[in-house]
This record gives sequence, structure tokens and C-alpha cells, in this order.
Amino acid sequence: MSRTDHAGPFIGRSMPRIHDPRLLVGHGRFVDDIDDSGALHAVVLRSPVPHGHIVAVDCAAALACGRALLVLGPDDLELLTDELPTAWRIPGQRARTVAVAARTVRYVGQPVGLVVASSRAEAEGLAELVRIDIEPLPAVLGLDAALAEGAPLLYPEDGTNVVGEIHFGDAPQELERVMASAAHVVERELTIQRVCHSPMEPRGLLAEWIPATRRLTVWSSTQSPHVVRQELATALRLRVDQVRVVAPDIGGSFGGKVTTYADEVMVCLAAVSLGRRVKWIEDRTENLTASYQGRGQRARARLALDGSGRFLALSAHITGDLGAFPIQAGTGPFQVTGLALEGPYRFERAGATVTAVHTNTVPTGAYRGYGMQEAAWIRERLIEEAARETGRDPLELRLLNLIQAEELPYTTRTGLGYDSGDYPAALRRAAALAEERARPSGDSVRRGVAVTPSVEITGFAPSALLEMFQIDWSGWESVRVRVSQDGTVTVFAGVIAIGQGIETTLAQIVADRLGVPIDWVAVELGDTDTAPYSDLTSQASRSLTLAGAALMQAADRMRERMFELAAYHLKAPREEVVLEGAEFRWPAGRTSLAWQEVTSRGWKGWGRSEPGRIRLEETADFDPPAITFSYSAHGAAVSVDLETGEIAVEDYWTVNDSGVLVNPLIAEGQIIGGVAQGLGIALTEEVVHDPVTGHSLTTGFTEYILPASADVPPVTVEHRSTPSAVIPGGFKGLGEGGVIPGPATVANAVAAAVPDIAECLTATPLSPARVWDALSATEAGRA
Amino acid sequence: MKSVPFEYRAPATLEETLALLGKPGANVVPLAGGQSLLPLLALRQVRPATVLDLNRVPGLAGVEITDEVVRIGALTRLRALVESAPLRAALPVLPETAAQVANRQIRHRSTLGGSLCHADPTAQLPAVAVALEARLWLRSARAERSVLAQDFFAGARTTARRRNELLVRVEFPRTPGRHCRFEAVTRRGRAGFPLIGLCLAVSLAGSVVTDARLAASGIADRPRRLWEAERALTGRRLDGDLAEVLDAASAEADPSSDLHGSAEYRSHLLRTVIRRAAARLATEGSAP
Repeated sequence: MSRTDHAGPFIGRSMPRIHDPRLLVGHGRFVDDIDDSGALHAVVLRSPVPHGHIVAVDCAAALACGRALLVLGPDDLELLTDELPTAWRIPGQRARTVAVAARTVRYVGQPVGLVVASSRAEAEGLAELVRIDIEPLPAVLGLDAALAEGAPLLYPEDGTNVVGEIHFGDAPQELERVMASAAHVVERELTIQRVCHSPMEPRGLLAEWIPATRRLTVWSSTQSPHVVRQELATALRLRVDQVRVVAPDIGGSFGGKVTTYADEVMVCLAAVSLGRRVKWIEDRTENLTASYQGRGQRARARLALDGSGRFLALSAHITGDLGAFPIQAGTGPFQVTGLALEGPYRFERAGATVTAVHTNTVPTGAYRGYGMQEAAWIRERLIEEAARETGRDPLELRLLNLIQAEELPYTTRTGLGYDSGDYPAALRRAAALAEERARPSGDSVRRGVAVTPSVEITGFAPSALLEMFQIDWSGWESVRVRVSQDGTVTVFAGVIAIGQGIETTLAQIVADRLGVPIDWVAVELGDTDTAPYSDLTSQASRSLTLAGAALMQAADRMRERMFELAAYHLKAPREEVVLEGAEFRWPAGRTSLAWQEVTSRGWKGWGRSEPGRIRLEETADFDPPAITFSYSAHGAAVSVDLETGEIAVEDYWTVNDSGVLVNPLIAEGQIIGGVAQGLGIALTEEVVHDPVTGHSLTTGFTEYILPASADVPPVTVEHRSTPSAVIPGGFKGLGEGGVIPGPATVANAVAAAVPDIAECLTATPLSPARVWDALSATEAGRA
Repeated sequence: MKSVPFEYRAPATLEETLALLGKPGANVVPLAGGQSLLPLLALRQVRPATVLDLNRVPGLAGVEITDEVVRIGALTRLRALVESAPLRAALPVLPETAAQVANRQIRHRSTLGGSLCHADPTAQLPAVAVALEARLWLRSARAERSVLAQDFFAGARTTARRRNELLVRVEFPRTPGRHCRFEAVTRRGRAGFPLIGLCLAVSLAGSVVTDARLAASGIADRPRRLWEAERALTGRRLDGDLAEVLDAASAEADPSSDLHGSAEYRSHLLRTVIRRAAARLATEGSAP
């Protein structure tokens, strides 16, 4: 690859991602690309029923033919594994762990065992011979069934299907008091469907146990290698230093690969038991039906306004479908919905109660947008409906109630401390773009536009906040910079590359700060042997914000050491040394020394200023003082076909402020990708279970409908930049902002296009059938 | 997922192909473009003893146009249908419809014969074959016979093809002066599976319909001719009041409900696509 952009500055420069050429020509190194010669292959045995007691797992036929190397069932798993820990719980939640061994199955697809053979095809054939005898129990599918009087219970010992409950913000009685006296109250029940993460690369791992050294190495498609390492050590009763987890190239995660799954423990157990390498690659059906899912909640929500349109109170009761059991942070997204409900507006009072509920379906958990997309859906639909019901212009109503720039920093009723920015400016700009882009309606096609603002928790930390909420994670990030003998630079970080381009932006930061060509920089991520520790890694829009901040500090220290070394060898005063084109020069002394010569002498220990500081390595740990908040305004122009209910998003635009952008091209890609994901939630994606059998009806991409590239309109991305005051470098995150306002924006644009059905727009996806149902009840639809 | 173990055969002649297909008791599935079969194999929903690859057999692909018929080899790729200039001139509804199937990558492999034999009740091309009274030629080692499209489709993924027979070509009669359109509503935007598809073919005297053919997909377990709607449309103007035509079609349709929409919604869509196809024929004529 030719590179002409040797010289900095690199922070702020749009440049293609370093890994793109390799990935685009098929040279990605995903788990399935790793040499698996000699490896054995596993197939996961899964529950065929949504609820039942396992009576027996009969492996006799599979073992009898002599081709199965190992069959694991509940007995083996109970004997050989411990339960996986959880990190974030909801008050009242009893379960603190996730079992690897299942005696009672609680969803179709729950892993109950493993078959290992010499090939995947062989293992699949043998798996068909294993008989799983299950005594079925009545199943609970959907929130209504779970909460019904006399509902079957997933955990009879609890006496209820409710997992736990928490309240954020103003007390319920205070909210009621304000509601009762308000000039106008809008109330709606708003639902968000269950969705699949649908990464291009499903989960998968290759596990190797070396009996001689008693060490387990796991190449895993994971977003959280250190967490997986600790969880595996716990589940397999190993010491942490016996486990190494390596994340190679990762083909997307979106929150679906943040914890260890029971089936992954089984694969590693098989490797340990057999002393062989064992490989398992999740297939698409498993990914869509048995991998943890996202969203799945319903909110009864109210917005109270005074006679002039000011927001008096926002109140919601959020009920989340947690599925069969609480995973690592299963209720986290529901809790964040309550915590982030207010968004960028001022409310005199606001509060939310969050109730998590068990159902006999796949557990839910983290998914890009993590409660904030849900919060935006509730809030922005209510505001749009309030505008319609009170005859106000929705934009004016929003502008009237937005937190103004001079009010920042601002603490919400639930305690979030917004730091900096100008929320109204972003919304006004999006509204100006809307005016340019509105198109007229036709006879059978109505058109509408909408703009919605949002604010986004990014760089989720600090550790003290996690401690306050008793979430069992650290919040800090760590980065190590090494300048090698030959002058090249390696960055080791605890965050991870999952397709978002963090390798490139970290390289840009270090090249910029050190003043070296960017192609001297390598970024090493994802290997627990070398990567600094990180619990949350690249979740919660943290990668650039927190690792970038740590890297700024480590790189600046390294730069200073390099200048000190150079000054020593040039026999120059430190302050007179300059670095130009990778050469240290002392203009007054007319001497110079190449960067590489300085690094070479540095590693020899020559010229060091402190006796104990020799290696050209600098490590910085960074735990921010507070969360930093990005914000944005999104606009959508939609058409609604009155005859078919089809919605087309014809145009989409965003105005986004994520502070200092290291690479605007990558920022744009992140936002556009998020928008596409938001459109999927808005229009087509939905996990559907058969209400009787509990089986998923969306087992492939013909039924679980992702937006195709032709369905995504051109997306205009405009940036504002308010540098973060709490993050060195001024960065704010943007990993999730693209997905957050989309569904609400699309629905509000549909409401603008066809006001007759606005009241019915209470659930996503707005599929043609659902929209037609709404249309057919109105004049507009009886065309 | 991996398929069950099977024997793979890729003969180079039609004779050998038919001989393998005709072996008594043989559980053989023919492989054409593989766009439906390979996923079904991987999901183990199809569990053959032998997969018989047709792709090396000469003479199974191609478009031939005579005064009477458009003759298309069963192994002709949908891409070739889309791009065939003579076909565009002789029977433009076929390229128009083929272009609506899936996406470019799939059309590059997918074949006309494969689409017809797969017999998905929502698929586009079977509805066109039924509307245009296409004749499907089936050959075994011993004999050749032909079946009209409307008799070929026997149910969801079920056809009149016997196990020892191969669909070798499809003949569409040429009817001078006939105008055709295919109209669909899909589950998602442009590249989605159809919810409803409709092929409308009419002969006109001025703007009055003298002869009509309607067949729809997605309204039953197989593509279905809408005979009563055809009768109701005959003698009417395309841009006139179609209420009786739509009511007749609704009465003939028997759609089912699934996660993508209710039977009621599909019935409504059928009326919509009929109106749209009629309106487009009235204003634009056949597909360009």
C-alpha cells in the first residue's frame, strides 16, 4: 500500500482505515480462518422445548458408532463446571450467576450439551443420534403471559416471574402530583421489539489445551477478551493465568459478544477434557435463535405539559423481557432506559420504574444503543403526540424545552450530568436541512419529515460510578506505548477492534503525538497476554474516548522521553531540540540525529535521565472523572404508500457532536452504520416466537429482515465539535449515537406524513402489514 | 450447518444425467443454480443420497425465439433472462420479472428451471409461467412429456415432476398484440421476498380488454390463475372501473397469515397489484 501522508498532524484527518485493504481482498483473519488442522469440531445440543425438566440425555447411540470423541450432557457439565458470574443486577434479582449445566431448560435453543467429532458434518450427524428426554412444563411467551394472574413460573421458588425492580428520578407520588395538576397529559404504551445483533461473523471459538503446560488458549470472536478469560477460568475452575483469550479479527458484535456463553464454556471444557484443539463456529440459525438478543420492552409512559407547552413531568413504567435468566448485565439496557429517559430536555420532574420479567425465550442483554434508543423512542413519540394533541409545532415544542447551551453543565432528574454542547443548535440545523429536503405528497403516497434530538452516554465510566451502582466492573482503560529499537511504535490497548476502526484512530493519535509517520505504528489489541486489562473494552462508546485519552497521556510522556534522549545525544538544551521529519535537530548546534538512532541508543540504556527508567515504554491508566455526553439531531424524510403500508426512508441526515474527531471519515462510517441499524429496528427487524411452541419463526434472513444497502438512503452527516472537558484530547464517543434516534425519527416522520395514524405508531417495527392495519382503520387508507 | 453425507455426480451428458436420475429407488436431487437447494441441504431439510449437478450438461441453457414460442432452457440463468435483448423484444415481462428476483449475485447463479421446480408459493416466475400458459417439458431416460404450468404446480414446493424426470425447457407461447406486466409487493424494499406477485396479460382493442390472463403468487399454496377476474376484466377498459375484477380476484384468493402479514392484508395487496398492473399497462403498455 502506498502512503503519501507521512507527515502529521494526524488527529482530525480523514483517512481510510488501516485494515481495510486486507479485509477487502479477503485476508481477514477471523476465528474460522485460523489454521484448524488436527482440530476437532463441536456441535451444540440445544433444547427443543421452551420449558421443561431434562429427564435424560441419551448419548448411547452417538457413542456406539465409535465416531464421537466426546459427548457432554448435563451430568458432565454439572460435575466439571461452575457457574458464570454476572456483573450488573437489578434490585430483587436473586440469580447472581449463569449456569453452564441445565437441568431445567427455559428456552428453545438453550445449550444442554456438546458433541465432538473429527469434522463438523460428522458431529452434526452424531448430534441427531442423541436423544434428549424432556418432561415439558407450561411455557411463558411474551410479557402479558409472564405477568398474567396464575402464570406458569420459570422459577417457582421466586413465586413470580418478576426478576426485580428499580426506580430512577423523582418519586412516583411526586410524579403523580404533577401529572394531576398539569394542563395536558399524553399517555401511551410504547413497545420495542426483540432484535438480533446479526453480526456478519457469528460467534465462534477455537480452544486449545496443552496438557504439558496446563494452559488453555482460546481464539474467540469476542468483544471482551479479559472478561471472557475470567469467566472461563471461573467456569472451568482454572487459575486466570492458565487461560489466554485471543480475539482475532471480529466481524461485528454490537453487544452480542460481551460475555461468555454456556456453549462456549462447553467447547473449552471439551478441549481440556480431550487435550485436543476443539473448534465451534456458530451457524446463522443458532445466531438468530440461540444467541442472546437485544431490546424487548414495553413502557407505559406519560408526558405532562403546562398551558404554555413547558414539560412539567415525564414518567414511565418500563417492563423488560429478560428472557430465561439474567445474563452478565441482562437488565442493564432496561435500567439505562429509565436512567436516560429525559434525553436533552428540561423536565421539572422525571422518573421511571423499571421492572424486569422472565419469559421462556432467549435471554436479552446489551445491544448497540443500550437503553438509550428505547428511551428516545418513548420520549420522542410522546413529545410528537403532545405536539399533535395540543396543536403545537413539534419543532417549536422541542426547542422550547431543550436544555440550552448556557444551562450546561446540567444534572437531570435521574442524576446524569451533561457536560457540554449546544443541543438547540444541532436541532435547528437538522430542521433547516429538513426544510430543504421535504418533498410533496402524491395521490397514494404521502410524505413527511421529522427531526429529533438526542444525547448519548459515551465513554461509560468512571469506576467510582460503577461502584456506586454496585456494577462488578472497572471503568478505567489502560494503554501501553512501546517505541522499539528500530523506531517503530506499538500501541497495546484494552479496547478492541470489532469493525469500528479503532486500530486506525489509535494509530493516528500516537503518530500525531510522537511525530512519526503513521506507517511506523502498529496497534495490538485483543490478546489477554499482551493487552492491558479492561472489563468494558469497546462497549458503551468507550474505545476512542477512554483508550484515546490514555493514549494521549502515554504518548505525551513518551514524546518527552524521546526529546530528553535526543537532547542528551545532541548535547543540546532540551528546549532547543526540534523534531522534523522523524529527525531530531538542534538548529543552534547544527547537529541532528534520526529518530531511529535515538530509539536504538535508548534501548541500550545510553543517555537515560533516570537510572530506573530504561525501556522505551509508557503505560497510562485513565479513569475519567465523569461520563462525557455526545449529542445529535437526526432527520428523516419518509414516504408512506397508502395502498400497501410500505414505508420508504427517502432521505436521512444527522448533525452530530462527538467533540474532537480523530478521523471524520471513520466517524461518518460509524454514524451511517448506526443509522442503518436504527432503520432496521424502525422498519423490518423483529424476533418472532411461535406463541404455542416457543420456537423462533425468524430463523434466517428471509424471515428476520435486515435492511439491505438498497433500503438505506444516502445519509448526510454534519459535525459540530464541542471538545470534552473531562477527556484529554477532547474526545466524546460515537459508537451508538447513530442508532439511538432513528426509530423515533422515522415514526415521527410517518406521523407527519399521515397524521391519521400517528396515534397508532406505538410499536416497532413499522412493517407494511402493521402500517396497513393502522391505515385501514382510517380515511387515508380507504383509498 | 452441514448437509448429510451424499454422493456428488456431475455427468457431462443428458443421457447419463437421466440415467442417474432414473435409477430405481435412488434418492437423487438435481442441482441447478443451487440458490435454494444449497441452503436446504445445509439445514438438512433436504437429505439426498445423491446430488446430481446439471451444470456440465450441454444444451440445457439458452433462449430461442420462433414465431410461435419463446423457448428457454431450464438451466438458463436469471441474469441471462434479464440481459437477453431478443427476449426483451419478444416477451419483455420475463426479463422484467426475473430482474425482481432476489439480488444480482443470486440471479447470476439462479436458473429458470430451478425457480419453477423449487415451487415456492410466493416466487415470481412460477406466476408468470401460469399466467402465460407456459408449457414445461419434462424428460426421463425413456420419454419426454409436457405439462402446462398451471398443472405443474401441485402445492408448496411440490410439482408434477416425477423423480426420474428433469425439467429441460420451458415454452412460452407468443401471442402478438398481448401486453404483460408483473407487479409485486415485497417484505422489504427492492430485494425482499414477495408478499404478493401478479402477472397480468391482456390483449386490447383500443383500450378495451379482449382477452385477459391473471395469475398471482402468495395467495395460495401455489401460483394461481384468477379465472373469474379474467372474465370480469374482459370487455372492460383497463383504465375503467375495476371493482368487479378486484372482487372476483378476492373471492378466488385463499392466502394464509404469517408473521409478515395477515390473510386480509394479502387479499388487499392482491387488489392493489391488480390495479397497479392495469394502470401501468393502460399508461405504459408492456415492459420496455
